Amino acid sequence: MAFAAINDDMFAEDVIADPYAYYGRLREEDPVHWNEKYALWVITRHDDVVWMTRHHELFSNAVFKNDPLPAYPDINESDLGLYEYVRNYQADQFIQHDRPEHLEMRKVVHSYFTPRSMEAWRGFVKDAVKELLDAAEAKGRMDVMKDLATPLPVLVIAQMMGVPKEDRAHVRHLAELLLNIGRGEADRMKPLVEGMQGMIDYVSPLVDERIVKPGNDFISVLADGEKRGIFTRHQVLVNTSLLLLAGHETTINLLCNGTLSFIRHQDQWEMLKDDPAARAKQATEECLRYDAPVKSIQRIAAQDVEMRGKIVHKDDRIRWFITSANRDPEVFAQVDTFDISRDPNPHVAFGSGVHHCLGATLARLEGQEVFKALAERFPSLHLETEHLEYQPSITFRSLKSLPVIWN
Amino acid sequence: MARKLRVWVDHNVCVGNAMCETFAPQVFQLNANRQSEAVNPAGDPEEKILEAAENCPVSAIFVEDADTGERLFP
Repeated sequence: MAFAAINDDMFAEDVIADPYAYYGRLREEDPVHWNEKYALWVITRHDDVVWMTRHHELFSNAVFKNDPLPAYPDINESDLGLYEYVRNYQADQFIQHDRPEHLEMRKVVHSYFTPRSMEAWRGFVKDAVKELLDAAEAKGRMDVMKDLATPLPVLVIAQMMGVPKEDRAHVRHLAELLLNIGRGEADRMKPLVEGMQGMIDYVSPLVDERIVKPGNDFISVLADGEKRGIFTRHQVLVNTSLLLLAGHETTINLLCNGTLSFIRHQDQWEMLKDDPAARAKQATEECLRYDAPVKSIQRIAAQDVEMRGKIVHKDDRIRWFITSANRDPEVFAQVDTFDISRDPNPHVAFGSGVHHCLGATLARLEGQEVFKALAERFPSLHLETEHLEYQPSITFRSLKSLPVIWN
Repeated sequence: MARKLRVWVDHNVCVGNAMCETFAPQVFQLNANRQSEAVNPAGDPEEKILEAAENCPVSAIFVEDADTGERLFP
């Protein structure tokens, strides 16, 4: 064989630090790769990813229900009972369903997130960003992760849920516990379950209230789905957590990875600063392409499927990698160049097809407002340390922290 | 009589989310690439077509009055 064997340890330090080299090599050498160690298919080409997302009937999204294999990376043996709880909890998310149920469930929440209705949130997002940056400015330094990227989406989502101001800190605490779903530590089940149970306890009375007295908040939208017999009560509660979780980790990563991309590419930072209002939109798309918040998404084959001469068997785990698809030279020129004027930019950061990210418009809006505000207020932004680390996850591209300073 | 509409989908933008198909099933259908196409602009009432356009998550749907050229969406 001409090539050195591919190391199947996707959690290896060097792969976590630089996924682009590893998955880029797979894309060139073995785009439909069977990973022996984790017993799953690794899909790395842009056209294959798009094809998979558009053929949802071949690849089930009921991953928690249909995955015949145990959790990975390994969890503490004493936590297997907790894992069952997590499985049942996650299985009630609307995204963990296939058609026809998925369509009925998505229809309940879909209209809440249209581009036009999300645009109405821009003012709120702008104010929230300003408030957080005011606090950072007063301090003279910030951890973009802790001081900006983590609180911002929670502020927005708490407002969407219609939770009282005094409960925000509690919601933020629960959101942080829920983030354990994307982590690799063996003892992650305990805090995760604590977060899930905490969400159920916290949201239940809110649902009771909104069933009787609906408002224009997101919990009322879900409660209406319960009234119409589309959601069970457990599904209403789980999908409220889903909103909190799905809109949290992903947005954090967009904001942190994007900010880091600008700091590391001063020419592009200059270009953004030159006209932040005009450039923020396209710049956010390039941040989503260049260092995408989500690295990979898993499905379970619903039937035997042939891909590039290989047979993916029914019930096989299969994961597509946004990380490599977004740098596929068949689709993008100068794939490793961060170029905020790139247009068109058909990245797959939000997936595609019937499961295309429901919160995409909101994520874009938050990215645009943050990058714009940073460029306007902190033109000399730079790293406080070159030592940056990523969470050991193959799902998320998550920095552990991003300390920055300015002159 | 209902006015005649011109309806089209920008395939550089369409992600095949297929919500348009559920709002106006006679108008929008997925093609072989699983992207939406406006196959029959007269197939559903105007309000259903506008609802489909409004609910497109990536704003790929365009609607015009076919006679006057007036833009109805976006």
